[in-house]
Amino acid sequence: MNSTQKFWKRFQNQKFYQICALMGIGYLLVFAYVPMVGLIIAFKNFKLSSGIPGFFTSEWVGFKWFSEFVHDINFWQIIRNTVVISLLKIVFTFPIPILFAITLNEVRKEGLKRFAQTASYLPHFISWVVVSGMLFSFLNSQNGVINQLLMNFGLIDKPLSFLASADYFWPMLVLSDIWKEMGWWTIIFLAAIAGIDPTLHEAAVVDGAGRMQRILYVTLPSIKPTIIVVLILALGNLFGGGLGGSNFEQAYLLGNPVNNSVSEIIQTYTLKMGLAQGRYSYATAIGLIQSVISLTLILISNYSAKKASGVGLF
Amino acid sequence: MKRGFKRTKEDYIIDGVVYTILILVMIVTIYPFYYSFIISLNNGIDASRGGIFLWPRVFSWDNYAAVFSNEQLIKAYGVTITRTLVGTVCSVTFTALVAYSLAHKDLMFKNVYFLILIVAMYFSGGLIPYFILIKKLHLMNTFAVYIIPDLLSVFNVIIMMTFFRELPEALKESARIDGASDMRTFFKIMVPISAPVFATIALFNGVHHWNAWFDSAYFVTDKNLKTVSFQLMELINKANLTAVTGTNVADAQRSATYAAQTFTAESIRMATMITVVVPIICVYPFLQKYFVKGIMVGSVKG
Repeated sequence: MNSTQKFWKRFQNQKFYQICALMGIGYLLVFAYVPMVGLIIAFKNFKLSSGIPGFFTSEWVGFKWFSEFVHDINFWQIIRNTVVISLLKIVFTFPIPILFAITLNEVRKEGLKRFAQTASYLPHFISWVVVSGMLFSFLNSQNGVINQLLMNFGLIDKPLSFLASADYFWPMLVLSDIWKEMGWWTIIFLAAIAGIDPTLHEAAVVDGAGRMQRILYVTLPSIKPTIIVVLILALGNLFGGGLGGSNFEQAYLLGNPVNNSVSEIIQTYTLKMGLAQGRYSYATAIGLIQSVISLTLILISNYSAKKASGVGLF
Repeated sequence: MKRGFKRTKEDYIIDGVVYTILILVMIVTIYPFYYSFIISLNNGIDASRGGIFLWPRVFSWDNYAAVFSNEQLIKAYGVTITRTLVGTVCSVTFTALVAYSLAHKDLMFKNVYFLILIVAMYFSGGLIPYFILIKKLHLMNTFAVYIIPDLLSVFNVIIMMTFFRELPEALKESARIDGASDMRTFFKIMVPISAPVFATIALFNGVHHWNAWFDSAYFVTDKNLKTVSFQLMELINKANLTAVTGTNVADAQRSATYAAQTFTAESIRMATMITVVVPIICVYPFLQKYFVKGIMVGSVKG
């Protein structure tokens, strides 16, 4: 039997697996790779009427759209909002699940621990649409719970307009993101803590370490690899909104004409320029800037994590 | 840590802090749901005066009556329920078949397939080229736009693949020796023993479909094809604009309609939110032991 025949025999033998795998790959080629190829319209003058072939046939315009975006009067505001919101989320949202996992791990009453954990996942499964609805009810200046409480305690004289003001927008995004995703990401850290070799803790007890010392010198160092992996994941999606990937939905649902100066981000602007105004090439160029920065970030963070600690995604 | 030892001062402090945090977290997590619930069961005009914190002041079913008599909303529930069921079944089946095949030990061209998979996970064409694709595939304004583009997520493939890899190879071998076809082996042997990972992926898919509003907003214009999350999004958009313009919710509502009406935009919104949230609350706790494993596999090993 020659090698071609062997090849076909082996292929025949795994026909079922090949057909299924190829269906999946074919699907990805259409729904993931065709749009990737479509990114070239960022350098072209694309008209919707020319369809998918228009990705290739439309005329090249070089970096025209990129330079137009840089000169857009909203450019600096959009970049600032995207960067600031993303950084605020990494800094404040990322550490919370780690702290909560350590807290939960110190709870000795199993039933209470399980109930608290189950409750803490709930917001993850609820859409941002519903969460926004709750925020409007809690923060509005007519009958919002927060304003009523602050007034009852005499902390403020008249209701604060949380929703119709640029000042409270960023804190609102960060806090609601923590509220929604904290419990979900706690799962990973809690599982990592559960995987710690108990003899490490026993040895620390013998050496006279207290609970706080064991948290700091046994628990935290033991889950360091998990923390790094999750951090790389979060950094890779930095401009999408980190772990929860919530930047777009938050900015879209909670943004309004009054807070526009702090809520317009690259993703919402892409949507406005592209789908609302039909400037497809321009919008693609804006979106591409974000994709390229994100990809660079994940490569850099993966590389430096590997260098520093030997832990990486790939 | 160990019982029987004398509790130190440190133990008391740490326990104090831990339980305080725990109780605070539980209140902050659960109360917004509870608050939405009591407002949805209160006379809307009365609720707009504020002062309701712990239980309904003027109990009323009117908000739910209004929600369930809104034909557009009922249609939207129909669309959402259908898409959730059809979408989840199709997507879980497809994902499982692809993942099972990719987990096959001897699969030829494995490296090429994996490369295609990984690149698709970390890089995407973004919204606009995707929109053009959907439009040119003539998926706009069809029910299929809810199903087909969501059939396969790389993340879910990796979770399932990791699971299938752990299954003993001997199972496949013995089925083969007994003369079962590969497809039969998959459906009759592999699927039943893989219930945990199927439950996880079904939950992820189901929740995604149930909550989806973006495709309904931008890929569908037919009013009868909108999802309930989209309808809710519209209600919330209105609330957002009301917050900006500063009109009093109750007054605006009262002047616009007849005096006998007891509900407001807010109370209707709360009732709609509760109807969207309750099915999720009823399902996810029972799948907890499965998805805890699922998310571990996907994020840490993936």
